[in-house]
Order: sequence, then structure tokens, then C-alpha cells
Amino acid sequence: MADSPEGSESIVKREPETPARDPIVSRSTSSIMLVCALLMIVSLAWALWDESYGQRPWKGIQQEFVKRYTRYLKSIRSDAGKSEAEVKETAEYQTIDAEAQAALEKITPRRKEIDAAVERIQAQLDAVTDPFQNQRGKITVINYNLETATSDFWRKHYEKQLADKRAERVEVDLPANDGAGKVNTQKLNFPELEKLYNDLRDGKAKLLSEKAELLKEPSELAKKRDDYVKNHVVNVTPKQIDDLIRKNEKFDYSILGHQINVNEFSIVDRCEICHLGVREPVTLKADYLAPAGPGKKPDNLSIAFVSHPNKELLQIHNPDRFGCSSCHNGNGRATTNVVKAHGLNPFWLHPLYRKENTEAGCQQCHSNDRVIQGADVLNLGKDMFYQRGCVGCHRSESFDREADALSGTRQTISQLEEQIAANERQAKQDQDAVANVSDDTEAQRLLAHAESMRVTNSQLAARIDQLNVQTRFLLQDQKKVGPNLKDVRLKLKKEWIPIWLKDPQKFRPGTKMPKFWRFEVDEDGEHDLKAVAAYLWQSGFDGKVPAQQQGSATHGKELFETRGCMGCHSIGEGDNKQGGTFAANLQRVGEKANFDYIVRWIYNPRERWAPYCPKEKRDLTREDYEKHNQPFVFDTELHSKCPNDGAELQVQNMTVMPNFRLAESDARDIATYLFSLSGQTSYADASFMDDPNLKEEGRAEIKQYGCAGCHEIKGFEDEQRIGKELTTEGATPIERLDFALLTQDAEYGRDPLFPDKKEEWYNHRGFFEHKLADPAIYDRGKRKDPKDRLRMPKPYLTDEWRNALTTFLLGSVGAEGANVPYTLFYNPQDQRRQDIQNGWWVIKKYNCMGCHNVQVGQRSVLMDLPFYQTPDGKDLLPPRLTSEGARVDPNWLLRFLHDPSLSDEKNAAAQAAPAAAPSTPNTATTQSKPPSAAGSANPSNSGTNGGGEAGHPFKPQPGANRNGVRLYLQARMPTFNFSPNELQALVRFFMAVSSQQQPYIKENLEPLTAQEQLLARQMFVSGTPCLKCHLTGDPNHDKSAIAPNFLLAGERLKPDWTFRWLLDPSQISPGTAMPTGLFKKADDHWVINLPNPPPGVSEYHRDHARLLVRYMFLMTPDEQRRLLSASPAPVAGAPAAKPQSSDQKVGRNHSHGRGRSVLAQHARSSKFRLASSHGSDYIRP
Amino acid sequence: MLKKRASFWLAMFVAAALLSLALACGGGNKETNNDGGATPTGGKYSGGVGSVSGKTAFNGTAPAPRKIDSSADPVCGQKNPTLSTEDVIVTDGKLANVFIYIKDGTTADGKKISDYAWDTPATAAVLDQNGCHYKPHVMGVMTNQKISITNSDPTTHNIHPQPAVNQEWNQSQVANAAPLEKSFNRQEILVPVKCNQHPWMKSYIGVLKHPFFAVSKADGSFEIKGVPAGKYTVAAWHEKGGSKGTEKTMEVTVTANGTATADFSFDGAAMVRNSQGTSLEMLPAMELPMLVKH
Repeated sequence: MADSPEGSESIVKREPETPARDPIVSRSTSSIMLVCALLMIVSLAWALWDESYGQRPWKGIQQEFVKRYTRYLKSIRSDAGKSEAEVKETAEYQTIDAEAQAALEKITPRRKEIDAAVERIQAQLDAVTDPFQNQRGKITVINYNLETATSDFWRKHYEKQLADKRAERVEVDLPANDGAGKVNTQKLNFPELEKLYNDLRDGKAKLLSEKAELLKEPSELAKKRDDYVKNHVVNVTPKQIDDLIRKNEKFDYSILGHQINVNEFSIVDRCEICHLGVREPVTLKADYLAPAGPGKKPDNLSIAFVSHPNKELLQIHNPDRFGCSSCHNGNGRATTNVVKAHGLNPFWLHPLYRKENTEAGCQQCHSNDRVIQGADVLNLGKDMFYQRGCVGCHRSESFDREADALSGTRQTISQLEEQIAANERQAKQDQDAVANVSDDTEAQRLLAHAESMRVTNSQLAARIDQLNVQTRFLLQDQKKVGPNLKDVRLKLKKEWIPIWLKDPQKFRPGTKMPKFWRFEVDEDGEHDLKAVAAYLWQSGFDGKVPAQQQGSATHGKELFETRGCMGCHSIGEGDNKQGGTFAANLQRVGEKANFDYIVRWIYNPRERWAPYCPKEKRDLTREDYEKHNQPFVFDTELHSKCPNDGAELQVQNMTVMPNFRLAESDARDIATYLFSLSGQTSYADASFMDDPNLKEEGRAEIKQYGCAGCHEIKGFEDEQRIGKELTTEGATPIERLDFALLTQDAEYGRDPLFPDKKEEWYNHRGFFEHKLADPAIYDRGKRKDPKDRLRMPKPYLTDEWRNALTTFLLGSVGAEGANVPYTLFYNPQDQRRQDIQNGWWVIKKYNCMGCHNVQVGQRSVLMDLPFYQTPDGKDLLPPRLTSEGARVDPNWLLRFLHDPSLSDEKNAAAQAAPAAAPSTPNTATTQSKPPSAAGSANPSNSGTNGGGEAGHPFKPQPGANRNGVRLYLQARMPTFNFSPNELQALVRFFMAVSSQQQPYIKENLEPLTAQEQLLARQMFVSGTPCLKCHLTGDPNHDKSAIAPNFLLAGERLKPDWTFRWLLDPSQISPGTAMPTGLFKKADDHWVINLPNPPPGVSEYHRDHARLLVRYMFLMTPDEQRRLLSASPAPVAGAPAAKPQSSDQKVGRNHSHGRGRSVLAQHARSSKFRLASSHGSDYIRP
Repeated sequence: MLKKRASFWLAMFVAAALLSLALACGGGNKETNNDGGATPTGGKYSGGVGSVSGKTAFNGTAPAPRKIDSSADPVCGQKNPTLSTEDVIVTDGKLANVFIYIKDGTTADGKKISDYAWDTPATAAVLDQNGCHYKPHVMGVMTNQKISITNSDPTTHNIHPQPAVNQEWNQSQVANAAPLEKSFNRQEILVPVKCNQHPWMKSYIGVLKHPFFAVSKADGSFEIKGVPAGKYTVAAWHEKGGSKGTEKTMEVTVTANGTATADFSFDGAAMVRNSQGTSLEMLPAMELPMLVKH
């Protein structure tokens, strides 16, 4: 081993024979060892630390929470104490307290007596109980022996024993009744003993129940007192705070103590090991728990400690049942760090929703709800999905109710028809076979079978009939987002069409119609655009709309601003824009449309040019009807079937715009106003649109772009939607969302659209947001053939809308993608909740909330318009519907929704409309009006204009030009032509929202006695005379009326609601013109609030308000006339009402006329004014 | 060894975890900017006081008061046959019923006027319904000051204030009824009051946190007394002109025992144009271009 050089050298050199230095022996390794040991120790320490803290950051967090929370609690303790003491010092508390004390004192003497008596009886009872029970026991034993005795001898023996026992006298030391401690010793046999025992017990029970009765009042008062404190102490009480501090002292520093386990749904959520304040009874805000003390600057921890922002929500969705991650997503089990716990690490399927998209969590379970109380962002997202026309190309399950139902119904019909044919064949076979069978029984069997086949067929036919009716209803309910493009030739200026197609947003910023950017980007985009235009133009209905004369623009403006148009439509551009976003902005309609068509449209937008037959797949013509000797008439009521084959037709324009039942002259005036908003424009020549070759190319383009998703286009009536179904889009695996060449940018937070944002957007939210902001974005950098390029056009979306839509999409995950078990989804089983769920789809479909308050706290579009800002304007708002179900009879509501003019009501005559026929108070000078129209603003116009080439004279409107209930409102409740399905959904919705019993059975009201009638009459006209404000049907009187006619009450209202309304209308409808304080409480009933009530009234001791309700419900026209003559208001012929004198007079009834004369004065001085008189802020000269 | 390696990775992991924790938590330190505190912080003012006085002028031709048609309630006509509109009352070019108040400013000792607490008068302000109109037509009260509403008419009224930031109410008051006692607890310029049964009846109540306000008299004069010395923005408000009325402001300096002058003038034409009437009339839309038929 150690042979060579070393050894030889040592020999040569003769070095001392010391062995070579063995490093093992000679060199110290202690330093290395030390280092290693130290490392070991350090790492051990680290491991230990890591084990207890590093992997358990929540420990430190919990300690910090307890520290800060306790500090905060202590800081508010003194205030809380003070507030309770303050409440106890108030006079009201003192009164209640005194009452409670007094009541307690009042009963004290008797209570003491009872207590004493009970004590005495108890002592006697104690004395009796033992002897009695002993005797009873012995008797029971003897009885048993008797029953089981085997011979007469023993039987006799025991009988004797029993008699002896019962007669045996036992000594009882009964304490004396005076309770002085004396003892009466008595000797009693068993029956006496038993009686005594029972009497004593009965006596005691009686006394105790008397005591309970006695204590009832004081204890109720004491409860009232305690409730008073509870209701008036704003914050928590000091006691509660002390409890909380004590709880903190014993704080459970663990995971288990704070984790939510829902075994049923295998939810384990540990969110609350750090978010400790979420469910604390004290509301915690970030700055309360700031590191430097309450009120200082909060840090991240204090932000994490805050209470849940919506505690009511937690009551409905109790975390103990639902967990946290069910709604918020994230990784409920993770505990080691924030990124993991929030599920923000790559590939976690359910990352925590960001704050602005939190409501996506609601959508997971509430996808069938159109409106979710409190989820405003999500509701907006759903609004946008419908209103912006996403629904035209993309299916999202719950949005397709009518379409799904219709195709389902049609499918069922064709299945049933096949079934009928098969049955018929079978029957025939059976019948034929009869001749050949040898056996009579078999022949009978065959005949019976054939017979039952036919009977079955008749049953099936009945089902088909029902389904056909459904088809009609469903056809009526089918709506399109965009207008009917079969009408383009009638409606539009030809040359304008290509301009619009090129960039709708340029012509009308904010319009629903998205920009088809590929017309600009594609090499042959220009050509495609022309082809589309050519197809539309050449496939449109040919004809001419009856010519219309100009009306008065000033009157048209007034109508436009007051009839309710602006609940959906807006007017003005840029900052001057006013009105709703539900429907189009009408500022420039005059630049694109044909005046005559617009008049016809305003008059009745549902009036279709020609009916469409889904069976023949074509629009019917006059000839089709003439062939069958039928008039060319089609409507939803009686003429909805095809004359050729009886199929249900599409007889309406598929628009949600309702019929305002305007007078023809009013329709003209509005159109004139709209056309006056824009000047003349000339467009480039567009004769290419008549090129038949282009038309065929256009057909392909229209198919490619899916135009028929939103529009009715000839030849595309049955076209399917072209977009991806989005029902479960939020659950698409991230790798299947095609970020294309932007994947890396997304991962590294490079944002091509929002360059100053530096965050990663490789997630669902980023994908949706970018796609919505620029649908072309994922084609960036790609070389594609035009036909392969992305097709989605660019919608107009504000940031808020985009976020709302993103939220909606994120939450649309379906059953498989949800972080929530399917069983927790909101699919209500009870009828009431189902009714609410269904109703919202209809409410939102027709934008009822543009004019009405349907939800508590919701604002309608009208409420924020300048016209409704003044004190007088506020009285003209359409009614609140928050308690509609409690207010009206459902049967009446059904009739009203079917025809809001109530024109077929039997008592319509009683409602003589003040504004009947043309609404134009034309007596005032309207110089701006062309003389031709001014002279003939009367129904005769319909004669002159009717009978256009296409045979569409304006049909007379049902319920001509008036409201059914609130005749005084300028806003008009339009006729929506709801199908019976929708009518029912709406009525049920209103009833369900108000928790009304279904079906409603009218309650019989006690008839009035003669005396009661007399009294009610007096009350009606004295004090606050009801008829001063309520309509009566007398036109002179009604000019100044601002409330409904009492003649409607019996049929329309519910008595209980009416009673509550009389007592305090502002509780039901804040801001109403109906005053409170008409009644005051006397003892337990309401009496009319008058300092000097009429004689007789004060002697009537029943409830005055209830009496008036009965009186009102039994009102007759005669009775009303009698009242009218008795009330201080003038009866008839008051000279006041002449509009021409209105310049000198004001009053509600004249504002109209005066306004118009003022209008005339200023007609020439101000240009393009938008606002009404009250909105000076909006006027930009 | 194993432990060491494990703990190395553990350490790395912990470091990474901590880092990500730090990253995740970082950047969230937002300044909270909370200066919306509107509660008075100062005590009572005890320095020298002066006054502000002036006149409110009306430029242009004033519309003559129009007679009100009160035939809907004959009682009104009997009691007050000359009932006429009160929205613009001009005498010799001076405008009455203008509400003048100190909008903002600092007292001589450098504090905001809103920082001081001012005593609410113990006496109630009276709003009377007399002859089917409100007396006064415009008035000012302090927050929480009692307003006593009386009905001197032999008919029923209902009092319906329609405030924007106070509680709305609407109460009926029959003839000979006891006065209603009400108050508003938040500053508001101004609360419109109406009677639904007599729609011409309008009144405006200014609610302020301090007592420095006045209403111009028939001759357009007004005086605000007891104003602490200081520099202020004085505002004059009149009901005409849009749904919010017209407000003009002016800077004044008040010295102890001195009288600062604040003369306001309202442009009649603009006001009348901006609010024709008080109710439902439309503004003229525009000049009508005669449309060409196509």
C-alpha cells in the first residue's frame, strides 16, 4: 500500500520514524462538526418553528386578532355602557318602567296572599301525602292478591282484608289553616284521605293558575321594557361586550375550533381560521382593528379581520350549512398561505372570485333566477346578456325559456301525430284481421283493440289541441332583440343601411347593435358588407306605408317625455343623454327612417306587415287570404291561424315595445318631434343594393354572422344560433380557453388592452374580460383565412357592464363545474317561490322596472328624469308595485294587464276620460304646427290616411288613449299583448311577492246599515274630503283629481290592504299624495281624526277606517253623485276650466294649457332643447 | 442528513411561501382619506359679531302675479279672493322671498363656521296655512328647530314636504286642528312643501346648522344679525330656475360690530326661461325645421 515514493524517500532522508500524519488523528474536525451541529440545530429549530408557525401562519394571525379585537372591545365598552344608561334615562323608558313597576305592585298584595295560601296547602299536602300513599300502596297489594287468588276462600279473605283496609283510620297530623303552626291530629279512613289529598292538590293548582294569570300583565310589561332597551341601544350592550372579551380570553387557537364542516356536502372550509371577524356580533371594520389601535391606519391583517359586509345574506345562507367556498370559491382546506387558501395557485379549479365579481358565486346556484335580491352586479350582467343581444347568438339555458318551450311543444306535437298515425294503422290492421281469424273470441279481442286505439287517438287529439294553444301563446311570447329586417324597405332610407352596417356605434353611440369589425378588417370586408345590405334590401317586404302628415313637434316632445317612452328609450347624445338604456336612443331616428313607418310603429309597434307561417315557412300575402275568401286580418285574438293550413301564425312584430294606445294625431306628433331632432343628411349612392348577384352572396354572409339571432330576416326564420353555448362557460377548463398567441402575455401580465394593468390575466376572468372588450383579440398575430376568423362582433359595453357580464359568465358553471353540491342549488319546491322566480323573467323581459318600483328600494328610470324632480312631477310617477299583490284582486289584475285601459269594463262609462280622444289640448295656440294638421287633429284622419297600398289602415285602438285606473297620469300604462302564459306569470308573481293566498276568494263584506251609510257619507265629505282628490267620472271634477275612482275599489282592491292604506299610506308608498293622519287610535280602534267630528260620528264605536273601507267597496255611481253634490268642491260648470284663460290662472288643471302657450312663445327662440322646464341643468343652448 | 435535506427544502418552501405571502399581502397599504367628518368640533363662539345686510334686485320685467283659480275648493276663494301666484314677487325691481344664508367661510379666529356648535332656538318657527297659501312663503329654520304648522283656514290641508336628504312626510290637517310640530334634522337648501289638495300651495323651508340666514322682504332688503367676524360666502337662493332653483353667491368680510353689504341681483329673463311655471310644462323643443316628405 504505502510502498513507493514516500517510503523510499523517508529511507533516503532518514527522517525520524514518525508515521505519516494521519489526518484522522492529527487534524481536528471539531470546527466542521461544530458547523454541522450548528446547522443541525438551526435546521432543527427551523423545522420546529416551521412545524408550529411556518406551516401554521394562522396561529400568529389568531393571536394578533385576539389582541386587536380585545383592544377594540375595551375601547367601545364605555360608550356602550353609556348608551344603555342613556336609553334608561329617556322619558319613554321611564314611563314603561313605571308602568311595569306599578303593575307589579298592584298585584303584590294578592300575590302574597296566594303565596301564603299555597305554602299552607303545601304543608298540609306534605302531611297527607305519606299516609295516603302508604295506604294506597297497601290497598294495591291486596287488590293484586285478590285478582290472582285461586280459590273462593282466598278471594273472600282478601275482600274482607280490602274492606278492612279501606275502613282503617290512619292518623294524620294536619297543620292548621291559620298557619300558626298548630297541628290538628285527625283520624281518617282511606276514602276520606283520598278526598282530602285530591282537594288539596286541586286547591293548590287553582291558586297557582290564578297567580300565573295575575303575573301575565306585569311580565308582559317587563318584556316590553326590556325590548325597549334592546331596540333602542344602538350598539351591543356592555354585558355582551364583556362576554366577548371573556370569550377572547379563552380563545381557541386551533384550526378545528374555527373550521366549518358540512358532512352532508363534504364541505370543509377553514377560511375563518384567519378571517376571524366574519361572524362576530360586533360589526368590525378595518380601521377598528388597525395595528396601531382603533381608528388608525389599517394593515392587511385588519382588512382580513373585518365582518362580513352583508350579515343578512349570512342569515339566509348560513355558513354552517353552506360553508364559505361554496359562494366565494378558493381552497377551503388550505391553511399554509394566502395564495393557496384563496386558490390562486395555478391549476386550482376554483380560484377565489375577485371582489368585483363576488356575485358570480350567486349565479352558481341561482342560474334559474332572473333577479336575485341584493346581487346587483349579477342582475346587471343578466340584464346585459339579454339587452345587449348576447342571447341572440349564445344560448344560456335559463334565458331560453320561450324558445325551449316552443321547440319542445312542436316536437311533442309531431310525436303525437306520429303516434296517432301508428294507432290508426294498428286499428285498421286489427279490423282487417278479424275476417281471417277462426276464433270468435279472438275476433272480439281484435275489434276491442281497434276500438281502444281510436279512443286513444281522440285523447291524443285533445292533447294536441292544448299544445296548439300553447304554441300560439309561445309564438306570441317570442321576441327578438333587434328590429324586424323584413321591414327595411318600408322603414329605412336605403342609402343609410350600409352606413349603419359599417359602424353602428358611430351613428348611434351605445346602441345594442354591435360593430361587425370584420367588414373593416377583412380583405373583402367592404364587399361582404354590400352583399349583406343587398340581401336585406332585396328580401324585404315590398310596399308602401300609408302617408302621414306632419304633426306638432312641441306636443310630440311633451308626449314623448310624459307618456313613459323614456322609461326605455333615451334621447340626446353624450352628456345630454336622458332616459333608459333598455331600448334605442332616438336622437337620430330622423336621419335613417321613413316618417310614415315611424308613425305607424308608434301607433302600434306590434302591428305586423304580413303574418308569417312557421309551417309553410313564408310570409303570407293578401292573396293567401283572398283564396279562402277571408279578409286580410290577423291578430293574436281571433285571427291567429293560417288560412291555408290552420297553423298558428306569427301575427305580431317580435318586439317587446308595447302599444301605447295613442290617438293617431299623437303618434304623428311624437314622430314629428323625433324627426325634428335631426337635420337632413344625404348619403352616398347605394344602387348596388339592387344587384341580384350580391343578394346570394349576402345570404351566405348573413348565415356566417348569425344576423338572424337578433333580427327577423326572410329565409332565416328557423336559423339556429351561431355562438357557443354559454350555460357552463365559467367551468370551461382554462386550457380550453383559447388565448392563442396571447397566452404568454396573459401569464406574464402584459395587457394589450389595458397597458397600465400589470397583473396576470391568464384566468377565466381575464379571458372573458378581454374577449368582451375586443372580440377580435385572440386573432392577434394569427394568419387566418377570412372564413376562419373570429366572428363575434364588438358590443358596446361600459366598464361596469363588462364587469357585470364577466361576473355572469364566471358564475355560469352548471352542475358539474360548481363548487357547490347540486342539491344546494336554488330550485324552490314551493309554489310561492317558483312564482316569484318565473315572474321576474317576464318583468325583466318587458322592462317593467323602467317605470315602476317592483323591488323595495329599487329606482325606476322615470324617477330620475328631470320631469319627475319637482314636487308636482313627483305626484305623476307611475304607481309603486311593491305591494301590488296585497293591494289588488288577482282577477282584476289579470284583466288590467290584459287591457290596461279597462275599456271593456262594464263601468267604463263611469270613467269618462278627461283626456279622451286626441290628448292634444289643441285649443292653445300652436303656431308651429303645420296648418294642415292643426285643423284636422281629430279621428277623421284615420279615414284620410287609411287604406294604403298594402291595405293597412290604422285599426282603431282598443281603450282609446287613456289609462284604465289613473286617468290623471300623463304616463300611460301601455298594452303589452301578454299571452295568457305571461299574464298568469305576472299575476302569480305579484301575489307571491306579497305572500298572498292563491287562489284568491273574495271576502264578503258586511252590508252597511242605513245608519252606517249615513255616517260614512259624513266622514267622506268632512275632514279630508276624499272626493277632492279622487276621480269621480264627472269631467269637470276630474280635471283636478289625482287619485283613482272609488267605483273601482270593490272590484280592484282588497279590504285589508285598503284599511292599512287609509291608516298610513306613506308606509306603503313613500311620497304618495295621500296624506297620513286621517285617523287616530282611540282605545282599540281607529276613529276619524277631527277636532269636532260631525254629530253621530263620535257615537259610532266601531272602527271608522273599517267602516270607510266597506263604504268605499260598496260604492255605486248614484252614491258617488250624491257625495259629489254634498262635498265643498264645485259640481259642474265651474268657469275655471277654460284653457284660453289659462295664461292668467294656474292650478293643476291648467298647467297643461298654459304650458302649451308658453311653448308657442318660445318655440322659435330655443333650439334643440332636450330638457323639460325643470331640468335647466340639462339645457345646453 | 435526511432531516437536513428535508429541512432545506422545507426552508426553501417556507421562504417561497413567505415570499408569496409577502407578495400577496404587499401593495395594499392604501391611505384612508377621511375628512368627511361634519360634526362640529369647536365649542361655542364667543368673539365679536357683525351683520350682513343687502338687497335683492330683479333685472328685467317681472311677470305679474297671476290669479290662482281656486274653484276646486270654494272655501279658498271665499277667504282669499285675491289669491295669486307667489313665485316671483317684485316691487320696484326688488325681489322678495329670496333665502339668503351663509354658505361657508371662516370666522376671524380661523375656524370654519361649521366647526362651531350653534344653539337651536327654543321657539318654534311658525308656518301658517292661511287663505289657502303658506305664510311665510319662504322661511329658514335651524336643524332640529321645531316648526309649528297651523291651519287658519276653514278647510282641510295636507302638508307634504318633499325633502331630498330629510325624512319625507305627508300629513292631513283639518280645520281647527291642533298645530303640527315637526322638525328637520339635516341641513338642506331648501325643502319644498306642498299641499296635494291645493296644488298651487307651495312653500320652501331652508334648514341650516347655524342661525345665519334671512329672507328678503317685499322691498328686497334683508339683514343677518349676529354674524361672527370673518370671511364668508353668502348665498342667495330663489325658487325660480329649474328644479333646484337659482343660487347666487358672494364673498363678504364681516368685522366686529360692522355691517357687510351683500347686494344680489337676479336675472329675471334667465330665471323665468329656465322654469316656466312650477309644474308640468315642457320647454319649447326647438325651432321646427319643416320636414321634407320622402
